[in-house]
Amino acid sequence: MAWLSRPLTLVGLVILAHGCYSAHEHTVLSSTSVQHPTSPSATSLPLDIYIETIAATVLICLGLVLGSGAPQPIQWHTWAGKIEREGDAGSGDADKETLGNPFNALEARSGFININKLHKDFVKYQQLGK
Amino acid sequence: MPSLLLRPHASLSHAEALQVAQQAPEILRKNPASYSASPLFSLFSPPESSNTWTIYENLLLACLRTGDNTTARQCLERLVVRFGGSDERIEALKGLVKEAEATNDGELEKVLKEYEEILAKDNTNVPIAKRRIALLRAMGKTAESIEALVQFLDFSSTDAEAWMELADLYLSQGLYAQAIYAQEEALTIAPNAWNLHARLGEVLLMAAESGSEGNPQNYLAESLKRFCRSIELSDDYLRGYYGLKRVTDKLLAANSKGKKPSESDEFTLPETSTIEKLNQAATKKLGDIVRKYDAKDPLWQGYDAGEVAAARTYLSESSQKVLR
Repeated sequence: MAWLSRPLTLVGLVILAHGCYSAHEHTVLSSTSVQHPTSPSATSLPLDIYIETIAATVLICLGLVLGSGAPQPIQWHTWAGKIEREGDAGSGDADKETLGNPFNALEARSGFININKLHKDFVKYQQLGK
Repeated sequence: MPSLLLRPHASLSHAEALQVAQQAPEILRKNPASYSASPLFSLFSPPESSNTWTIYENLLLACLRTGDNTTARQCLERLVVRFGGSDERIEALKGLVKEAEATNDGELEKVLKEYEEILAKDNTNVPIAKRRIALLRAMGKTAESIEALVQFLDFSSTDAEAWMELADLYLSQGLYAQAIYAQEEALTIAPNAWNLHARLGEVLLMAAESGSEGNPQNYLAESLKRFCRSIELSDDYLRGYYGLKRVTDKLLAANSKGKKPSESDEFTLPETSTIEKLNQAATKKLGDIVRKYDAKDPLWQGYDAGEVAAARTYLSESSQKVLR
């Protein structure tokens, strides 16, 4: 449906502009015409301009909503489940910061890191790999 | 792969750490040695973001882990140029580099003395206090380390990381009740952390299995609740479902033996039918996760390979039991 978004918005904008122009023309004409200065039809806009404006606004809204991407999860468990399922690979765009579970830092505990043990384990790991 | 660089370093595997450390020289070359405050220079140099310094810190840790101390020194120098040598966090990193370069216990003692000198001047220096506790633990002085950590938590009681470390220290000594208490404190600070709930469930399960103190039935009931909460907070949480299956299996086995839970229980167990339903749900979900992971479904590749393998073995074991 995404391909519909731009044409819909564009058509909506054109119709809206047309509606505005019609309203403007109508007021200019009715103020210059001297035959019926006090009749109600001269001061109020005709119905079709109202309809045109409202329809155009609806079209633009529809186009914009269709064009926006899939919404992010707003429920905690859905969001957390997405992180668990997809991990780092989940998000396609690189600039978005997906670092997995934000609470992993509490289990990793970088402030209390034991660097010597990590280094020894790493040396063992490398020897195993060879 | 910038996400590896931004994740907390201690949660990386050895292979990932090596991958990060190998990127270090290139990142050091690409980024300028110092950032100028003048707006003219900032037009031509790459932008400085908060991530830049996280990346340097993680690079430093990865280089120390892989034994590349010269590159680690370079990373440290850049951090010192940016933040000054007397910054608390930088001081802790300097100490860390010294710890990694120490070759015997005497040198480690010296580093410990330095930490104590810094703490004598300012005893609320959080990063240094944490380094001192970690170093005490690394040197095998667990009791002193626990004492220091308890004192640290007296003035910084909202530090969930420190509570988790305390729980881990107590757990390493087999003191389950204390470990559970510390974990619960961490959970009051981060109540939505689904991995902490699962972790507490695991500790409770270990306490129930060791059976040294308290009623194992109570521990199991509490553990069941914790695993349920962790999967409530996170859909498709492998660790939570795995734990849930373990606990419900244990409870069902105990029930079938005809052991009636005593009336004076602090925690009342749910009914057997509920436990059975939970067990079935956990089995089904674990099966789903393992199948989708094995089928290389691109939306299900975030799991740890080791965890999935453990779930697979456990599932096949329990299904064999059912067949018999």
